[in-house]
Amino acid sequence: MRLRILLADDHEIVRRGLRALLEKHEGWEVCGEASDGREAIDKALQLNPDVIIVDVGMPNLNGLDTTRQLLQHDPHFKVIVLTITDSDQVIREALDAGARGFVLKSDAARDLVSAVEALQNKRMFFTPRVNDLVLAGFLEKGQTVARNETPKLPTLTAREREITQLLAEGNSSKEVASLLNLSTKTVETHRSNIMRKLSFHSIRDLVVYAIKNNLIQIELPPPKTPAGPTAA
Amino acid sequence: MTIRILLVDDHPIVRQGLKTLLEGHSEWEVIGEASDGAEAIEKAKDLHPDVMVLDVTMPRMNGLEACRLLRRQAPGLEILFVTQHDSPQMMREALDAGARGYVVKSNAARDLLAAVEAVSQHRVFTALHGRTVPELT
Repeated sequence: MRLRILLADDHEIVRRGLRALLEKHEGWEVCGEASDGREAIDKALQLNPDVIIVDVGMPNLNGLDTTRQLLQHDPHFKVIVLTITDSDQVIREALDAGARGFVLKSDAARDLVSAVEALQNKRMFFTPRVNDLVLAGFLEKGQTVARNETPKLPTLTAREREITQLLAEGNSSKEVASLLNLSTKTVETHRSNIMRKLSFHSIRDLVVYAIKNNLIQIELPPPKTPAGPTAA
Repeated sequence: MTIRILLVDDHPIVRQGLKTLLEGHSEWEVIGEASDGAEAIEKAKDLHPDVMVLDVTMPRMNGLEACRLLRRQAPGLEILFVTQHDSPQMMREALDAGARGYVVKSNAARDLLAAVEAVSQHRVFTALHGRTVPELT
């Protein structure tokens, strides 16, 4: 399936490496390159790529702010964030900014193709090292919320779960309405109810809920060959 | 005569980018890759490259350490650093460690070919951000 990719990284040598990796995949084309965040936004608006790969550490406008601005311009943009650090804060910020993929630069040769494939199939992708941090961090947060608020989180109706999944997959309320043959107003009412029922404050909370409850899948690369005995 | 090049960097994507650049030159051949200083030394022993393109910051053994050991082990090998460290002090350390070339990653696409050309002819090539300073020994 044909896919057009925009690359944003301040190092030309990295962009060349990414291009060589991605263009080996049949049907994928790097339609443009940018060396900073502002150029990335200009090119994205001009070229309308299917996937945008954004380095976090760019000068002038960093990758996280670039992601936020891209999605403000057009919430349909699908962004994979590339980073050298996997700190909890960067992960949260990337999710908050609306990134749908998170790949460590050191693992890019192994994971980037899987990440692009995941986004192509409307799924999210996190490098495995990030997955553990994300899930552990958010699981802990979820438990704290549960303890402090209601003893048991209310369940969603089937329709609400359906809408939660579609929203977590990156669809707008209007698109959800179109997919489910409902009015946009109805979807927005459901969306408000979902956010209120589960005490969500942002789309990120909704995405985490969807992951934890298997409404959406995180793509994982194939497991590495087994190592030695596991630590105690 | 073919120049045989060994690429050493802990990021496979960077190695791929370097390889793509170098493969454009018909008389150069990338004969192998390594992801840290220790592996670089092993591969240098087995493959006998003419030029090693080497990163500074790597796990297990960094590039400067590897460079010092290689100077003794393989005196004919020319070493070119391609690194994030845009610093005259680091560059001085690299040259003292026995490297013949030093370029900064942000300008690697611009400087790499000239740098490999120079060091393969045993000439010094150094280029920090913003300026290219090829020097003859």
